Amino acid sequence: MSVVSSTNAKAAGPTRLGGVLVYLRTMALFVLAWYAGSLLVPSKLLLPSPLAVAAALRDTALNGELFGNALISLARLSASMLAAVVIAVPLGLLMGRSRLWNDLLELPVEMLRPIAGIAWIPLALYLFGIGHRLPLFIMFYTAFFPLLVGTAAGAAAVDRRLIAAARTMGLSRSTIMRRVIVPAALPAILVSARLAVAASWTAVVAAELVGAPNGLGYAIEYYRSMLSTPTVMAFIVTIGLLGFLTDKGLRQLSRVLTPWAQTGAAQ
Amino acid sequence: MSTPKIRLDAVSKFFGGSVVAVEKLSLDIRDGEFLAIVGPSGCGKTTVLNMLAGLEPATSGTMMLNGKPIEGPGAERGVMFQDYALFPWRTVRGNVEFGLVYGPAGQGLSPAERTERVERTIEMVGLTGSQEKYPHQLSGGMRQRVALARLMANEPEILLMDEPLAALDAQTRVILQDELLRIWGQDRPAPERRTVVFITHAIDEAVFLADRVAVLSSHPGRLKQIVDINLPRPRGDATRRSGEFARLCQSIWELIREEAYRATMN
Repeated sequence: MSVVSSTNAKAAGPTRLGGVLVYLRTMALFVLAWYAGSLLVPSKLLLPSPLAVAAALRDTALNGELFGNALISLARLSASMLAAVVIAVPLGLLMGRSRLWNDLLELPVEMLRPIAGIAWIPLALYLFGIGHRLPLFIMFYTAFFPLLVGTAAGAAAVDRRLIAAARTMGLSRSTIMRRVIVPAALPAILVSARLAVAASWTAVVAAELVGAPNGLGYAIEYYRSMLSTPTVMAFIVTIGLLGFLTDKGLRQLSRVLTPWAQTGAAQ
Repeated sequence: MSTPKIRLDAVSKFFGGSVVAVEKLSLDIRDGEFLAIVGPSGCGKTTVLNMLAGLEPATSGTMMLNGKPIEGPGAERGVMFQDYALFPWRTVRGNVEFGLVYGPAGQGLSPAERTERVERTIEMVGLTGSQEKYPHQLSGGMRQRVALARLMANEPEILLMDEPLAALDAQTRVILQDELLRIWGQDRPAPERRTVVFITHAIDEAVFLADRVAVLSSHPGRLKQIVDINLPRPRGDATRRSGEFARLCQSIWELIREEAYRATMN
């Protein structure tokens, strides 16, 4: 038993390390190119060197600004995502499974969906003023449509045979919704949640840039006005990193919630 | 014979207004009988089964179950689908217990009784040890057994089976044919048996299993003939080797040979 597990560990070890090395090599190439670029661009205001950005990252991390603003933006993202899920997923299920609901909602949804969340900022400024509510609204709006459309498409695409099987077992419509449609559409819902979170991150900056007294977007705008490009870039890097990490978290969540629907699992 | 369990009277099914899948099919299915339906591809076998299941309405004609019209699906008619239709997000156990947990079939069962029945059914189809596996982790033959167990666990009065053994290798198929007859109740007196409607394209399978074989013709699907299979029960390997078995297979083959050739050549 122990022999088997140790060989397994040995077999897994180098591959994982190899993956990390490839990743580091790519990152190193990118940072090198950046560094070379910063030497060629004469103005430090236009393109600061990676070293200056690293120093700014360190400084803002040490004085708590980085984590404070990141936490606020993360909290806003979570709250607006939660609200979007609570409203968009049930509506999407109804739209995907009921002709009536689809006919009712399709037109307004398709008219509102192409409008970028940030297009509402001027109006939202009048409505909400500067504070939490404006970025929350913009991020909610941005997350809402990918979730709604993704859930509706997932619910509409549920294998008819599975529904037929449940019907022949005498299940009621509401039980079929909960026990067949929802789990069958869950992979699609989770994919649309990833799209919604990514879109929400892009909205964070714009919404906080104008409409909030704090958060990562606010910090970027503040340091731009102070002409401190390295700090601006430090916050941009932070958003990229957080976006990557939240997506990784969601992918992990889909692996846990939908182990049957992972790539490599033959249907 | 008493009143039929299921009565089809001049049932027709058109698709898209013009394509005739089934035409004027009249058929009585007796309580506790094992009825096989065979026919070349395109004879509307699956359509007949879907109509009996209540999943598709008939375009015309009447379908009665226990003297009442069939208007939709019901838990007293269990279906095993040709492509299994297993729930991919549920394990083997999760699939088998599905109807008992969420449907009317489990009403009146205590959790302990339910668990006992689920485990017994899983054991019956030889899937003990694979309870926690997901369908995508199983071979085609194992998935088919899960579908069979899911059907059996609900203990429906009527079993509607659409080519349930088609995807199996020859040996497994023979074993599950024997098993199916045991589950149906061939060792018990006729009144204690369930009613089975079994669709297959394999003539030998139909003859081995059934009390009667309904032979359909194709384009449109019509009832060509009903062949009584009076082979003694319980049936087993001796039945498969008997001359009477071969003679019955041959006579059914002659009924559909011409059309089967035509269907294959087209």
